[in-house]
Amino acid sequence: MESLINAHITRAVLSKPDFSLKHDTPLFESQILDSLSLLKLVLFLEKEFGVVVPAEELVPENFKTIDAMCAYIRSKQGKG
Amino acid sequence: MTIPYLLHQFLAATARRSPDQTAVVFGERSLSYGTLGVLTNQLAKVLRAHGVGSGDRVGIYVSKSIASVVSVFAILKTGACYVALDPKAPAQRLAYIVRDSGIKILLTSSMKATDIPVMFPDDCPLNTVVLVDCDVPRESLSISMPDGVALVQWDEVITQSTMSLPENLAVETDTAYILYTSGSTGSPKGVMISHRNSLTFVNWATECVGLTVADRVSNHAPLHFDLSTFDIFSSCRVGATIILVPEEASTFPVQLVKLIERERITVWYSVPTALTLMVLYGNLTAHDLSCLRTIIFAGEVFPTKYLQKLMTALPQTRYMNWYGPSETNVCTFYEVPQLDPERTAPIPIGKACANSEVFAITSVGNKLTKPGESGELYVRGPSLMQGYLGQPEKTGKVLVRNPFNSLFDELVYKTGDIVTVDADGNYVYQGREDGMIKTRGYRVELGEIETVLYGHPAIREVAALAAPDELLGNRLCAIISLHDGKTLTREDVLAFCNQRLPRYMLPDVIEFRETIPKTSTGKIDRVNLADSISSQ
Repeated sequence: MESLINAHITRAVLSKPDFSLKHDTPLFESQILDSLSLLKLVLFLEKEFGVVVPAEELVPENFKTIDAMCAYIRSKQGKG
Repeated sequence: MTIPYLLHQFLAATARRSPDQTAVVFGERSLSYGTLGVLTNQLAKVLRAHGVGSGDRVGIYVSKSIASVVSVFAILKTGACYVALDPKAPAQRLAYIVRDSGIKILLTSSMKATDIPVMFPDDCPLNTVVLVDCDVPRESLSISMPDGVALVQWDEVITQSTMSLPENLAVETDTAYILYTSGSTGSPKGVMISHRNSLTFVNWATECVGLTVADRVSNHAPLHFDLSTFDIFSSCRVGATIILVPEEASTFPVQLVKLIERERITVWYSVPTALTLMVLYGNLTAHDLSCLRTIIFAGEVFPTKYLQKLMTALPQTRYMNWYGPSETNVCTFYEVPQLDPERTAPIPIGKACANSEVFAITSVGNKLTKPGESGELYVRGPSLMQGYLGQPEKTGKVLVRNPFNSLFDELVYKTGDIVTVDADGNYVYQGREDGMIKTRGYRVELGEIETVLYGHPAIREVAALAAPDELLGNRLCAIISLHDGKTLTREDVLAFCNQRLPRYMLPDVIEFRETIPKTSTGKIDRVNLADSISSQ
């Protein structure tokens, strides 16, 4: 899951396939994601991993790093 | 007391009148008008000591923070004008702007200062960098600067005398700031706005909103975007509090809504996209936004569907649509009445603001339009820009002689926007005839994207197009054909653009084709291309 999201961010969002993105890189402080690219990413995650992200859960704690996203998605999948 | 004719005189007056009133809030930190007055006096002294004065351009390169506001007023106090650099723009573009505007002195923060050696090539005119570190108290840092560039630490600023500089270092026709906007020939153009141009807008806007000392005004737009001038200068005029919206909060719609609730924001001003995101993903009705008395949007057309939803979620709020290119400041406005729930047509851009006049001229016959006719919108009045920096030809194409003034040569601004007038005398925006479009509230010349892409050695031909998109305003599409034997991927193209264009100008869709379709006159067939893209 981590590497799938990583590849999606570097290729589709960042357009820099060679960019070395760590799973704990802060995505917003380092300007890798902004509001619109985040929403595109959320749509990707919803489709790819079969989860639904409600507005109240669209917060930095769940999306600040790739690790955080994966932990969040796994917790959703566990419930579903 | 003199009637203010310079933007920073508002700060001097407010700092005298209510020194303890909060001027700026940024997260946990805030600054009073008294302190803002003192810090800007000190910083202005340092700038003066480095030779800054009337006619000079000083750059601001910081992420949105209290330092942004301090930098703006300090620069104005010296009589110089500020050029806000987009902290997220690629180095090549920033280097171009620094060269084009002749920035010798740059205000930045320790956070951003490390970019400078990479950002500025040897031929750029930069000679001094001043660290404006009022946001984070920190030790002096030794940041290495390129050869010949002096570094001034924040310590040196705060040990200056706190007395103000003379107020007469500028006159109202001096440039106050330069806003860089997309240019069709491949390079951004610097729109020069004088104190008088800006004050014409600020004075009208303050009255229009009925802004008072009790207001808490959002600053959502970045400093290099003209929406920020209302937030900063109108607030300062009446002593209202400016709530800086941190960049990370703008990313998450729910956080924006929580910020409005927590900071008890009373007046919100942003591009429609930010509001649409709050409508869709902000959980608006779950929060107490009863303080929010006025919402203003500008920069692009607000899709009526989402405006309806916003007005339903927050029925007590007053809504205003402001219109005006950077070159004119806001020149028309429309207060949105209760909308018919069935309505899908976009709302009008409204009528002229105080001290502005607008009229529309037909493309055939150059006559004033009659009701129902469409024509190009022209603006006259003291809010019009001084011109594009160093571009008299481009300036001459848009600042043209008023055909209806027989007394003297009066310049009016030709917007390029096509409008009609509705039954109530409100102007309604219809579109444009040239290649300028709006995406995410930003103005983009499709020609600039094409010029950049033509710079790639493998690309033979390119057409940049816009496809309407409910959320973004427009999606940008680049249709590319390659020289024989060359290969290029979507990622290659994006990586190339990434180094040359700001993020909002990167194509959302990239398509490769053998050839680009042409019309019978040999021009790129944009209608055909647009159809083929929108049908996908």
